[in-house]
Amino acid sequence: MAETGNLSVPAARRSNGPGLWSNPVTWLRIAIIVGILAIWEATAASGLLYRDVVPSLLAIGRALAKLLSNPEYYWHLSVTAGEVGTGLVIGGLLGLTVGIAFGASKLLGKSFEPYLYYLGPTPKIIFFPIMIMWFGVGPGSKVAMGAISCFFPIALSAAAGMRQIDEVLIRVGRSFRASTSQMVMKIYLPAMRLPVVNGVRLGLGVAIIGTLLAETKLSNRGIGYLIIQAYSLFDMPSMYAMLIVLFIIAIGANALVGRIGRFDAIKQK
Amino acid sequence: MNAAATTRKFSEQRFLPFTLGFGALVAFFVAVEVLIRIGVISRYIVPLPTQIFAAFERVIVEEEILSRFRVTFVEAAIAGGMISVVGISLGILLYRFDLLRRATETWVAAMASAPTVLMYPLFLVIFGRSMWTIIMMGFVAGLPAVILKTLEGLSGTRRVLINVGRSFNLTPSQQFTKILLPAALPTIFVGLRLGLIFMLINIVGVEFLINFGGLGQLINDLAERYDLPGTYATIFFVVLVSVCFFIFTEKVERWLRPGT
Amino acid sequence: MATNAAATTHASNDILVVDDIVKSFNTADGSLTAVDHVSLSVKQGEFMAVIGPSGCGKSTLFNVIGGLVDGYEGNVTVGGERVNGPHPSIGMVFQEESTFPWRTVTDNVAFPLEIAGMDKAQRYERARHFIALVGLDGFENRYPAELSGGMRQRVAIARTLASEPKILLMDEPFGALDEQTRLLLGDKVLQIQHQLKQTCLLITHNITEAVQLADRVLVMTYRPGKVKRIVDINLPRPRSSEIVSSEAFGRYVAQIWSDLREEASRGMRDEEQQRAGAHS
Repeated sequence: MAETGNLSVPAARRSNGPGLWSNPVTWLRIAIIVGILAIWEATAASGLLYRDVVPSLLAIGRALAKLLSNPEYYWHLSVTAGEVGTGLVIGGLLGLTVGIAFGASKLLGKSFEPYLYYLGPTPKIIFFPIMIMWFGVGPGSKVAMGAISCFFPIALSAAAGMRQIDEVLIRVGRSFRASTSQMVMKIYLPAMRLPVVNGVRLGLGVAIIGTLLAETKLSNRGIGYLIIQAYSLFDMPSMYAMLIVLFIIAIGANALVGRIGRFDAIKQK
Repeated sequence: MNAAATTRKFSEQRFLPFTLGFGALVAFFVAVEVLIRIGVISRYIVPLPTQIFAAFERVIVEEEILSRFRVTFVEAAIAGGMISVVGISLGILLYRFDLLRRATETWVAAMASAPTVLMYPLFLVIFGRSMWTIIMMGFVAGLPAVILKTLEGLSGTRRVLINVGRSFNLTPSQQFTKILLPAALPTIFVGLRLGLIFMLINIVGVEFLINFGGLGQLINDLAERYDLPGTYATIFFVVLVSVCFFIFTEKVERWLRPGT
Repeated sequence: MATNAAATTHASNDILVVDDIVKSFNTADGSLTAVDHVSLSVKQGEFMAVIGPSGCGKSTLFNVIGGLVDGYEGNVTVGGERVNGPHPSIGMVFQEESTFPWRTVTDNVAFPLEIAGMDKAQRYERARHFIALVGLDGFENRYPAELSGGMRQRVAIARTLASEPKILLMDEPFGALDEQTRLLLGDKVLQIQHQLKQTCLLITHNITEAVQLADRVLVMTYRPGKVKRIVDINLPRPRSSEIVSSEAFGRYVAQIWSDLREEASRGMRDEEQQRAGAHS
């Protein structure tokens, strides 16, 4: 839901050095994971918390297997993926257009960008009632939520990306007397690629959130609907299973888009 | 004459964009008003802007938006306090124990980019439809940013400042309070600001989603009653509150970073 | 504005003529003259350096000659032709990091040829030639991020040379580098200049660099930037950085420094006053 700032760990710190198994970091990680799982299982077995809030790992595992072997789940998944994808394309294209316009024209940027900048970090889900009135209770309003969510980070990154272009590179292009189209194709676009990719990465994250929250609020299909259904049936194991799959997909998609960015960063750094 | 020309240019540089931006906004509302009145846009989908404006009074008096605001504020204050204390402490902890940091920093970063708000049904089961579901959702949303930025601020302290401290024979605790913490403070506040913004977004969002608590619930209520002008007015109000909060934290951040 | 009259008064082998340039900027507290009636001329194959303290308008002069700014009085002519926008005969090397981070060394160096519409095989061949000239063979497929600062600046020089300019115009090209790298790159530039008989105009604030490289050094005054003196450097060519230890070299450095010292301290006082003013 939030798109301010960048919270990534520097690449250098990501690596754990040579020798995975001789590295104390690996062992500490395993210890932490095993510890958490043990506490979890003990809590589940003790029955201290109300029934099923902490189901046993076995139950979650079974629910996960059931979920992944259920063709209906994949249908819901494809519905949600379609909504997120459509929202990302619509919001992304709008965001890019607006961002490039704001980045290119000082006047436009100064006049309208403050509105985007301050509207960016507001809760988008509260617009859902309006989206329902405009686009109905079906997938249309979910697509709209995805589009609204990702519009802001993508527009702001594109505008910032255009402005962060190193001014000397523009002078280099001019000193070699590049034409306007050559300037755009060979200097502006490549120079703003990284911030745009980063904007898309942030946008994808918030589009997933916007779409799924809308599905949990009001819908009859999609992953969000399944999660809220599990809640109302109090089927905790399958809710955990669905959340696990969802987090893996979301973090994976984030990493995937991030990798496009990082591939460039490595080449450039 | 030249000086006069430059001053004029200067004020133009400020006022032209503001006028254009604000003017476009006003023009937009006028256009919507006109389009609704001539029937191009259905007034059952978009209420008249004048109606929305009029609804502000009703929302404030009848729907007690201010007491709603207070509920949200209390939730935000509790969650914000928890985020600050727990987040900064965990950040210091990870800074002190490098092994722990190397094991878990990427996990914290993954949490920061994970869609944690989607866990709200789970929190609903654990904490029930209560204030605590909302507070805890705000807490988990804001926590990773504070941890990561605290860590970044502390470990980003310039080597030479640490050496200065050592050259004056500071004790470890002096080293921490006189050198590390002041040097890290601006970055820590960046983290706090991010964390608090994420928190506020999630708190209002979850209020709306679980139909409980302050401002978020009011939007849900009014929408369910099909009170269009009221819904729009409340949404504007919430946006305004978020924007004010955002500007306020931004001001504090600028004040903490003099000279930038 | 006398366009060609000025050019014809100079000797016919003057390839670059800068005639009576005045350039001012509008700032918040009025107009500021950056370059004040500066004239200079560079002969075919000559290496000229322009030296001055920070804030003397060197970079403005660089941008005027390179055709990147307009709105100035006076004329810049290349081979008798008036400079009006970036001129194909002038190749610029910038002070800042200016390689394209998204292009390999080869693609960076081939950039001007690509702009000119040369086909790929041909421009790569030409690029390879200039990469070898600056001594970067073996790094053709690297990205700038994989190179050191000195290597990146050599890529920028090769890129400009690839456009085969009549005049190589450089603005503090080694400004961001350490002293030793700077001296060694100076050797490289001397060697290339000797090989290509390249006409060069170097803008710098580094006295050693100016004396090491140039045939003539033009000393500029601090704000407004005027020509204070032109010093002929009669050191033998071909030169190398070893010359910095010679007695004659030391004399030139001392002479230029005595000129420059006064200007630089004036600049320093000015700066201090400005800061004091900004605080009150």
